[in-house]
Amino acid sequence: MDKPLLNVENLSVSFDTPKGVVEAVRGISFQVGQERLGIVGESGSGKSQTGRAILGLTLGRVEADRIEFDGINLHKAPARTIRAIRGRRISMIMQDPRYSLNPVMTVGWQIAEAYRVHTNATKREAKQHTLDMLATVRIREPEKVYGLYPHQVSGGMGQRIMIAMMLIPGPDLIIADEPTSALDVTVQLQVLAILDDMVRDRGMGLIFISHDLHLVSSFCDRILVMYGGQIMEVLEAGALDQAEHPYTKGLLNCLPDIDRQQGTLPVLRRDDAWMNRKGGAGGDVP
Amino acid sequence: MTDQPTETGLKEWLLSDTPQSVAQARCQRLYLAWLSFSANPIAMLGLTIIVVLVGMAAAAPLLTGGDGTEQALANRLQPPSIAHWFGTDELGRDIYDRIVWGARITLYIVGLVAIIVVPIGLLVGTVAGYVGGWVDIILMRVTDIFLAFPRLILALAFVAVLGPGLENAVLAIALTTWSPFARISRAETLTIRNAEHILAARVQGASTARIIVHHVTPLCLSSVIVRLTLDMAGIILVAAGLGFLGLGAQPPLPEWGAMISTGRQYMLDQWWVATIPGLAILIVSMGFNLLGDGLRDVLDPRSGGTS
Amino acid sequence: MIKVENLDITFGGGAQRVHAVRDVSFTVASGESFGLVGESGSGKSTVLRAIAGLTPGWRGTMTVAGQTLSQRRDRAFHKQLQMVFQDPYGSLHPRHTVNDILKEPLVIHRMDDDERRILRALDEVGLGPAYRFRYPHQLSGGQRQRIAIARALILDPKIVLLDEPTSALDVSVQAEILNLLSRLAREHDLTYIMVSHDLAIVAHLCSRIAVMNRGAFIEKMSDEQLRTGTPEHGYTRQLLVASKGYDRAAIDQFVEFD
Repeated sequence: MDKPLLNVENLSVSFDTPKGVVEAVRGISFQVGQERLGIVGESGSGKSQTGRAILGLTLGRVEADRIEFDGINLHKAPARTIRAIRGRRISMIMQDPRYSLNPVMTVGWQIAEAYRVHTNATKREAKQHTLDMLATVRIREPEKVYGLYPHQVSGGMGQRIMIAMMLIPGPDLIIADEPTSALDVTVQLQVLAILDDMVRDRGMGLIFISHDLHLVSSFCDRILVMYGGQIMEVLEAGALDQAEHPYTKGLLNCLPDIDRQQGTLPVLRRDDAWMNRKGGAGGDVP
Repeated sequence: MTDQPTETGLKEWLLSDTPQSVAQARCQRLYLAWLSFSANPIAMLGLTIIVVLVGMAAAAPLLTGGDGTEQALANRLQPPSIAHWFGTDELGRDIYDRIVWGARITLYIVGLVAIIVVPIGLLVGTVAGYVGGWVDIILMRVTDIFLAFPRLILALAFVAVLGPGLENAVLAIALTTWSPFARISRAETLTIRNAEHILAARVQGASTARIIVHHVTPLCLSSVIVRLTLDMAGIILVAAGLGFLGLGAQPPLPEWGAMISTGRQYMLDQWWVATIPGLAILIVSMGFNLLGDGLRDVLDPRSGGTS
Repeated sequence: MIKVENLDITFGGGAQRVHAVRDVSFTVASGESFGLVGESGSGKSTVLRAIAGLTPGWRGTMTVAGQTLSQRRDRAFHKQLQMVFQDPYGSLHPRHTVNDILKEPLVIHRMDDDERRILRALDEVGLGPAYRFRYPHQLSGGQRQRIAIARALILDPKIVLLDEPTSALDVSVQAEILNLLSRLAREHDLTYIMVSHDLAIVAHLCSRIAVMNRGAFIEKMSDEQLRTGTPEHGYTRQLLVASKGYDRAAIDQFVEFD
């Protein structure tokens, strides 16, 4: 298998609070290739902080041995290098397009700007590329949507616009932080289908961060299960029933299953011993 | 629960995750707010200035020789010296004494205005925002009317009718200051109105009055307090202006604005008579401004302040 | 226990007119758990809020415990019917302690014996007296929702409306809250109307389910019917398929239902 796109070694993120230091991520390591990697965890597991730390977008203190992307150690690189990579080669899609799109600019303008910033294209070229991109994310009437403002578009369309904006510079790796959690379930799947097609067509890597274990396991190739800032287990997609770690198994068990009648749902029992396993490795790219 | 916790015990008590009583819970909130506030040096400077002001006012008899009203014409217009730290004014009164006793007047003005404008502003704003409809329209037009009055003109009008005096000046200032507080409260109320905890209160059967007083008003307080401290500077200056025009504090009260007014004529040769009170006003205004800025950083829910 | 007939609700006027609920009718028997399922904008939460008295201007007939409801609700009504909201942080007042929050309904209804009732309510939802004086921001999502449930139960109502009570919670916490709700329903013989977008949760907790889309009922069924995968309407079938996870081929078959 080819070289991984991203190689993270011993990543830690911590925050200083009046009550002491809070460690959101504790020394995790993993690699991402041209695949769809899912990072699953509940709130407080550190999954979002991991995604943000890769791009240097977190407010916490980041420590790592390496965060290597295409031979560059992002952790030690100068600000100018990181700015060139951010957006252009590694992109990030966030949860709610109502908050991640600029409300005072039209969506078309924002996408075109994203293109121009990274490629020095002219305004006309950028607009044309934008319209093409809107068609690629299956928005009908791209000309009309180009001139709309974020508050005028629905959730699903907003997220497709977000995807268009983040993919237009042609990145190699996308980090998607709960990209569909704010959407209805049918719209969620439609948006994921678009993401799926684009990732496949362009040979990109995708890090998909979510709390929804079932969704991630049906969408991604590999899954990292995080808890308390550490990786508990690495699973191949579709191999959920072979999960070994008690946290993963507990998580799977406590979901209500529509296919059977359950009296009382089994409750996840947290074991402090899980926290003692330092770091946790996410396995190499297969 | 121990009554007199030790040093480390106190800190633990303040940071504990399981408060045992209402008092402890409230103390904890104040303590965390204090930690956040005291981390800001500029805010602490503002607080220090205000504390000094209050201290001066409280301890005035201890800090001064007289009460600043004794005249000694033989001693008039003396420059600052060991005997008179800030010099003497045109009637031979010690300026240092007058500044210290004037602090009381400044606090009196500021306190009286605050006590009048905050309740009125909160009441008008929250009722207008929560009830909406005609009540909102009428209350807001009333607010607009008061907002349109220029302070000095209103003060002149009051003085013409009621005679000059400190209380009348304060009344004039209060009547032209409460409007923005009503607007702020209304804006906050409009945001909060459809929050789920307000809906929950409605589902529990709370009356409109109870919701406004117990649920809405506490959430408006932060913005109002910040606005108040930032307005203090303006209030002091207006009071000083009124004093300057002879509309506020009457002689021989050592009100700082009035001191500037009478000292104006001696500006060139005896600069200290007008400049020292001017500096006092400057410092106190700045102190309130800095305090207000610091409080806003701590209390503003949007910037993620404590709770 | 609850009977809703021809409920119709429209918001706004002119260009902004939204016909949120269209001619909805259903009944809920005493002690039953009834589920309302739909996607966002389906009107399910609006129906719940109308029953609770939070949306004036509704049309139709609603009867609760034999009493026909008017536009305004009286205090006695609120003693019988309570509601748990979706956002555990938003539904607790940020400046009130747990004690204040639980005491509020007691004060409004002029009930005495606060101390005992508050401690009992905390105990019933599995939280000890240690939580009594905390502020909401010192509680986890699951704990906040427990407080919200305790608050709803402190007046001993017969009916509890649940508006997506677990949507904002972690999966492991969700299971605890669902178990708590089941247990409380059994112990106090409560009647629930639960709104959710999640079919599995509704099927787990409710015995009868109605599916809503764009303000109207699409179909009503029992949880068994949902479970065995035999809904009649295409919209429900599509929802069922979507709830099973990502299936590229199936997604291409999705259609818009109006």
